[in-house]
Amino acid sequence: MPERIKHKPIDEEKVKHPKAEIHILTDQCKGCGFCIQYCPKKVLEESQEINARGVYPPKVVDEDKCILCGFCMAVCPDFAIFVTEKQSEEEAC
Amino acid sequence: MAENKSFKDNVNGEEIRVGVYVCHCGLNIAGSVDCEEVAKFAATLPHVVLAKDNRYTCSDQGQALIKNDIKEHRLNRVVVASCSPRLHEPTFRKACEEAGLNKYLFEMANIREQCSWVHLYDRKAATEKAKDLVKIAVAKAALLQASEEITVPIIPKALVIGGGVAGIQAALDLADTGYQVYLLEKEPSIGGMMARIDKTFPTMDCSICILAPKMSDVGHHPSIELLTNSEVSDVKGYIGNFRVKVLKKSRYVTKDCSACGECAKACPIVVPNEFDAGLAIRHAIYTPFAQAVPSTYTIDINTCLNKDGIIVCDKCLKACERQAINFDMKPETVELEVGTIIVTIGADVFDPSTLPNYGYGKYPNVITSLEFERLINAGGPSGGHLLRPSDMQHPKRVAFIQCVGSRSDRSGRLYCSNVCCMNTIKDSLLIKEHWPEIEIHVFYVDIRAYGKGFEDLYKRARREGVVFIRGLPAEIMEDKKTRNLWLVGENTLQKELYKMNFDLVVLSIGLEPRKDSELMQRLLTLSRTQDGFFMEAHPKLRPVDAATGGIFFAGCAEAPKDIKDSVTQASAAAARAGILMAKGKVTVEAITPLFDAEKCKACGLCTKVCPYNALTLNKELKRIQVIEAACGGCGTCAAECPFGALTQNHFTDAQITAQIDAVTEHDAEKKIVAFCCNWCAYAGADFAGVSRMQYEPNVRIIRTMCSGRVAPKFVERAFARGAAMVLVAGCHPGDCHYINANIQTQKRVERLWKKMEEQGVDKERLQLLWASAAEGEKFSSKIHEMQTLMEKLALDDITKAKKVFEKALGGD
Repeated sequence: MPERIKHKPIDEEKVKHPKAEIHILTDQCKGCGFCIQYCPKKVLEESQEINARGVYPPKVVDEDKCILCGFCMAVCPDFAIFVTEKQSEEEAC
Repeated sequence: MAENKSFKDNVNGEEIRVGVYVCHCGLNIAGSVDCEEVAKFAATLPHVVLAKDNRYTCSDQGQALIKNDIKEHRLNRVVVASCSPRLHEPTFRKACEEAGLNKYLFEMANIREQCSWVHLYDRKAATEKAKDLVKIAVAKAALLQASEEITVPIIPKALVIGGGVAGIQAALDLADTGYQVYLLEKEPSIGGMMARIDKTFPTMDCSICILAPKMSDVGHHPSIELLTNSEVSDVKGYIGNFRVKVLKKSRYVTKDCSACGECAKACPIVVPNEFDAGLAIRHAIYTPFAQAVPSTYTIDINTCLNKDGIIVCDKCLKACERQAINFDMKPETVELEVGTIIVTIGADVFDPSTLPNYGYGKYPNVITSLEFERLINAGGPSGGHLLRPSDMQHPKRVAFIQCVGSRSDRSGRLYCSNVCCMNTIKDSLLIKEHWPEIEIHVFYVDIRAYGKGFEDLYKRARREGVVFIRGLPAEIMEDKKTRNLWLVGENTLQKELYKMNFDLVVLSIGLEPRKDSELMQRLLTLSRTQDGFFMEAHPKLRPVDAATGGIFFAGCAEAPKDIKDSVTQASAAAARAGILMAKGKVTVEAITPLFDAEKCKACGLCTKVCPYNALTLNKELKRIQVIEAACGGCGTCAAECPFGALTQNHFTDAQITAQIDAVTEHDAEKKIVAFCCNWCAYAGADFAGVSRMQYEPNVRIIRTMCSGRVAPKFVERAFARGAAMVLVAGCHPGDCHYINANIQTQKRVERLWKKMEEQGVDKERLQLLWASAAEGEKFSSKIHEMQTLMEKLALDDITKAKKVFEKALGGD
């Protein structure tokens, strides 16, 4: 359907997205950057701090953008990243 | 076989007896042409044994007269000077056949569309031109040959392109008649625009409730094969025998899907749903709406995270109990063989953001009528509660603005979109039904409530308190704080200015041709009107037929129309297609090539220009072979043959030469010889006549099936005989009725221009024009332009050209 979309969906807020909690085991990372490269939502970027292995591990830019696809966990060769679903404190909205 | 046909058996000793009938067509012709004088003149022409003028030649009496004369006066050629052969040639051909005369021995002179109607105010010149046109027709008639047509079988299957309500109706009708139908839809579900509308006018039926059963019938019909997510990529063949290639895009969900919706719940991607005009969200795996047919979910791979076969996210895979999701699906190309095609591709809606004064896209509370439909629909994003997008509040004052993108120069859409007036009245009543306290104003140009029950609905709206104000707002301004809208304009009935405040403004947007109709036009060799909608073969008498045989239209593809008209037209198109398929065979016009084996040097040039590969070179026998059933009948092979070994039946070299000679016999230096292709340029010239566009009477049109038939020797001969100007006119490149034969036209004209330049002849005397059947204006202005050029033309140049092209006179 080709007509252009000009208005925001009005039920956008009603859709609840599971909130993600991203855990990075900083010192276990060897800095391959796969997680950063493959994240479909570009949630991660390289941090500025050197870890114990002497590389720059990833850091979270925007946790809200994460959709819990878990691909980072799958591609990480060092099991250094985990994503879990945040148990929402306030269920009502 | 073609080899046995020879064009040398012209002389079989029979005496040629031509009967000429000059038609008055009431006053349509007689109003500006002295028909009696034309008939008297016709009687003096060679081979003419009888010339009559009568009021309506196409009437039963007129036809009876012809039939009678054929028997009584042993006529063996008939010429009727009346309207365009595109209109009544079949009528008169039939009359001839009934009197035992082969229909290829009939010829027409077009003295209405191309004479009386375009020279309304110059009776003398129009009469002279009519005489000339009759002379040309008689010259050709003397050389006509009886021919037999071949018949080809029709595949009893139909393809319907577009699954809106028109396509659905056409498919169901054809399938119920007993034919196999393929219904093609670009989107994941059939339903089209009607599925998106809340209620229908004037009966206020729930749109999807009356459509859904039909959609489901299509899904379950044993004779309908539904192809969704599919597009036509190539069409070959001809009436009765189309070979269509369809590109079927992957759905990534197999037929095992039970439409439970668990996958969509799991999908983390959220994007606006196009079906809801972007007012609701959907996931990357989705079904556009609850009643979708097929109900199988689909994955929008552009927004899905899994691309190029890499599974990044497997949430839907895990959620699907029946394991119906398969990311390895590949797009496939399906080849269909069908006998008839119905085009029901529908229309697009106008994009009002191109009109900056209404602020659509900038002001959140300015919405389109389509967005309104989704907002008021119980199945829509707001559950049927009318909300304004800025603050999700219930509006108290609503304005409708009519003719947004219709009937206006500014939007470039000059036509009336047909449905918007009634749609607005229906919408206003819907609001009043639920929330009578909402104040509604409708700003309009004219309210067009022309159909059955429409006026009642309009009156009802007025009774319910809807205020109608004549005069569209000049501008919409937004109050930054409240997001309310100020409408400023003139009430043209009261002659006073207004400035009114509203909470919500609905732009009643018009319909426009689909963006892909250009592609469809090319694939199926159709023509479109200036508005861009498809053009029917005849606006009154063949309203659902395309000019191309075996193709039909229904719904908004042909022009904007409401649901009732779309359904009516769809049933008509189905009936028309059914008639063809029930006959089981179709005759192909005997306009195929005639071949002279003695002259053929087996150079193979003709095989290279044939758009249908209907000619093959047999190297062993040193001659070409013609496959008549494959031939489209453009005649470009005949124009290409340098040895005169090929010519086109019914448009032979000798016949066309005789026509050129007839034009140039007198006052050649004041005439334009125009070669027009039957489908575009000739039809365009007819359209100029129908629209009464006046142009100079010095042009004489010679009709060929395709501009590719125009051999350089014809142009050269016209110049050699002193013609002032020559026009070669055909379809736009890419729109050629014979695939691409007009590319040869261009090449040949360019070669002629080069030759003229080299020989010092004014090359502007030869003009090339691409004009479609709808471009009468273009044709008539070309004649104006050539007339101006002709007036400036030096006599020297004509004499010079006569000498340069002298060779073209010999050897016929």
